[in-house]
Amino acid sequence: MGWLRLAFVMYVALTIIYFMTGIYSRSVRREKLEKEWDTDPAREGAPVEERRAFISVGMEQYEKGLKKRLLWLIYILPTIGFAMTIYFVNWT
Amino acid sequence: MWKKIKWGLAILALVIVGLFLHYTLPQRDVVQVINTYNRVTQIGGNWMFYSIEDTGTGVETTTTSRDIRFIDAVRANGTSTVTYRNEDTGWFWPPYFKWNSSTLQAEATNLQSDKADPQWVAITHYGWRLPIFSIFPNAVSIRPVEGPDVTLIPWLNIILLATLAFLVLMIRRMWLQFRERMVDPALADVGQTFDAAGARVEAVQKEARGFFGRIGAWLGTWRARK
Repeated sequence: MGWLRLAFVMYVALTIIYFMTGIYSRSVRREKLEKEWDTDPAREGAPVEERRAFISVGMEQYEKGLKKRLLWLIYILPTIGFAMTIYFVNWT
Repeated sequence: MWKKIKWGLAILALVIVGLFLHYTLPQRDVVQVINTYNRVTQIGGNWMFYSIEDTGTGVETTTTSRDIRFIDAVRANGTSTVTYRNEDTGWFWPPYFKWNSSTLQAEATNLQSDKADPQWVAITHYGWRLPIFSIFPNAVSIRPVEGPDVTLIPWLNIILLATLAFLVLMIRRMWLQFRERMVDPALADVGQTFDAAGARVEAVQKEARGFFGRIGAWLGTWRARK
């Protein structure tokens, strides 16, 4: 039963990490979009609504993009690490 | 004074983390196995440095004594000896997930050799030998090597420490991002509120000149705030 407890605690912790990293990643993307808009001389003086629309389109692209999917590695890599440890310690 | 205390605490934290990693991360010794055996071992206040009870390692006679497998070895210099315990680690810390201590003991016995014809082996282990507390490093794996002065590159430790450094860096970056995007704007808001309050106080003070002015200002303080 020890492995169940470990798996439970580990995946709860990884879920917390997954969401925190997700928030971070989203925040970085939003900041990048904001800066892209604000530093573009062609868009100077454009209305606030356009800026808002530009950012929300960029965020929608992020939600569908590869980078967001890569966050699943937060679950995958530790699982592979544990499996490899178990294999190499006990069967080689 | 505070700076010194801060530095002291920082150094203490670093030392604790360093010792913890030094205890937990695997190390390899190139040794010659000279004996393998079981011994009923008393476990008291040093329980923290042995496997937890329910890992099924050896035969638990009572909670305070346990039949533990040991491996005696001698280093390449021929004089300094090492004693490893050989215990399963179970599902908790340290996360080696070792359940094959019987197999490991058999392998160690198989690789046992005498001084005339030494068989050199690399024993992977974690932990320390501290005679004063009767604690022993735990052997994790054993494999034969060509000679006593073979060079072993600790790839696993390099990868683990790099990963750890990366995680620390990421936590720092996440915290900085959080502060920049969430905490600082909130604080700026509070600052603006305070500034606005300060301006109102000044305006009120300006109005409060003369007797009627003062009464008017006092009445003004009862008016609804905007």
